[in-house]
Amino acid sequence: MSLQDANAVTTAVSEHLEWETVRRIGFGLVGTLALTGLWAIAAASVSPGYLIPGPRAVAAALVTEFRATEPLVTLGFRTDLPRAILKLGQTFAHYVPGLAVGAVLGAGTGVAMGWDERLDDLLTPAVRVLRPIPPLAWIVFAIVWFGIGHGGAVFIVGIGAFWINFYGGYDGVRDVPDHLLEVAESLGTRSDFGMIRLVVVPAALPSILTAFRTSLGRCLMIVVGAELFGAPGVGFEIINAANNLAMATSVAYMLVISSVHIGLDVLYRRAERRLLEWQP
Amino acid sequence: MSRVRVRDLEKVYDGTQEIQAFSAVNFDVESGEFVCLVGPSGCGKTTLLRILAGFEEPTSGEVLVDGEPVEEPGIDRGMVFQEYSLFPWRTVEENVRFGLDRPACECADCTARVAGLIDLVGLDGFETAYPKELSGGMKQRVAVARALAVDPAVLLMDEPFGSIDARTRNRLQTELLDIWRRTGKTIVFVTHEIPEAVALADRVLVMRRDSGPGLAASIDIELERPRSRTDPAFTERVAAVRNVLDS
Repeated sequence: MSLQDANAVTTAVSEHLEWETVRRIGFGLVGTLALTGLWAIAAASVSPGYLIPGPRAVAAALVTEFRATEPLVTLGFRTDLPRAILKLGQTFAHYVPGLAVGAVLGAGTGVAMGWDERLDDLLTPAVRVLRPIPPLAWIVFAIVWFGIGHGGAVFIVGIGAFWINFYGGYDGVRDVPDHLLEVAESLGTRSDFGMIRLVVVPAALPSILTAFRTSLGRCLMIVVGAELFGAPGVGFEIINAANNLAMATSVAYMLVISSVHIGLDVLYRRAERRLLEWQP
Repeated sequence: MSRVRVRDLEKVYDGTQEIQAFSAVNFDVESGEFVCLVGPSGCGKTTLLRILAGFEEPTSGEVLVDGEPVEEPGIDRGMVFQEYSLFPWRTVEENVRFGLDRPACECADCTARVAGLIDLVGLDGFETAYPKELSGGMKQRVAVARALAVDPAVLLMDEPFGSIDARTRNRLQTELLDIWRRTGKTIVFVTHEIPEAVALADRVLVMRRDSGPGLAASIDIELERPRSRTDPAFTERVAAVRNVLDS
């Protein structure tokens, strides 16, 4: 094949790819519009209106929630913030620390148990018993230990993050090929700590990061769930608005949560690609 | 004193039934010698090499390297595996450097040493490439450089060219001989390809399945290098090894 032919093929391929992208975006738009149309028809045909709030009502509610301000008082300073931003901020105050602590502890415990057989034997029964308990079931302890508020929501999110990341670490370590450990040994890596730092964690990193990505989404669901029980934030707004039959506002906050998730996922995937540049 | 001494080595696998891999194996490898261990798959040659490396324990007998009994893996025995075993998250340079960063090893100028080794295996220009960007032959060159970095007394190679295409394989054999000449390393090389063993080794140790105690044969290859595979003397040695295996 001559260079010219090769160029022609490359151009054809990239044109095809561009067309493919256009086609996919087009189909996505058509699908979304069709579903929104169905939603609008359904909303218009039920009564009373709060049973299914229509797209317009939801859009109006979104605008209201971003326009109306509420004061935020921190350390005696008062700032006025759009209500939706404030609520999202409160949700993040549960989500971020819960996720961070849960993920680090979970992945760390998973790596330790995956690496040390005795620890694995010691803790596996407990893991088997505790793992199937849905994080939200712990709400009862969250309430008696921390009260209905920020602490309890952080705790619930932490539990959710712990288990997902636990398995990321555990499975990742279990899958580290023996021959990599043997090479490291024959090159003078002696201590467990050295082996974990130089071989085990880097080799398990793809699995750890995939689990972390899953926990990003799952913890967002969990934090909203935890707030339904009364901790301030987006979740509480969803139930609070519904209690006043302002269902459009509830749906508006649901959409806020899903946009946050889309944004986080895109950002995280980009970061992950950079971190795992070496992966085939 | 010999570099490697293998004394009355025996390996029995405890499974559902006891399987004897080999017994009463004795041989010495002199300093700077290139020894190939050949035999069919399942004859225990890889197990024997893994015992030399310290990854497995013999059932009885012992291995001495420079007079010291082998009990665990160590930087005095460099290992090269068939599946390359590069650290995929490290670049070529970082892979070669792995052993030098361990406190176990000291060198005056590690960066220069790494550069020298990359040059030795002919990978200049690929210092910052990740293993995924390399061909099989290039990966195995990195693995050799990485093993040589800590200056081991013996290089142990387990079918290193086993998953490399025939043409590249011949070139790698020539390169390995060149590296061997330049570094003066002692090499124990496991293969099931008889011509490969005859092309490389000073001495070929032959192992057979169920051949009773000891090695099946030890055949000296006193041919000048580079060796031509069409040379009658060469084909004669290949036939001699094959005879032992077929008898």
